[in-house]
Amino acid sequence: MSSDKVGPSGLTEAESEEIHRNLIQGTQIFGMIAAFAHLLAYIYSPWLK
Amino acid sequence: MIYAKMWTVVKPSVGIPVFIAAVAIASFSVHLALTLNTTWVKGFLNGGAGKVVAAAPAAEPAVKK
Repeated sequence: MSSDKVGPSGLTEAESEEIHRNLIQGTQIFGMIAAFAHLLAYIYSPWLK
Repeated sequence: MIYAKMWTVVKPSVGIPVFIAAVAIASFSVHLALTLNTTWVKGFLNGGAGKVVAAAPAAEPAVKK
């Protein structure tokens, strides 16, 4: 099975894909929190006016 | 996910801190640049909402008689 193939980092493709899923999810959550924080800051004090 | 297999090559113990550091440095740089080059971030951080934008001097005499 190709997902059992171990790469130079020592991880299998399945492990690599699992890490990547979590990294993407973490990035999305971080991005949503950041967007919300910028929205609140913009409501408090609009910039570029 | 076309990049999902990159972690078979890059060690996550190296790649993930590098990724997080890149985001942190980029974010810090943008906010530092804005703080140094604008008045409204300083105003925001000092709680000066609404007072940041200087009123145009020409607008004031119009109110007065």
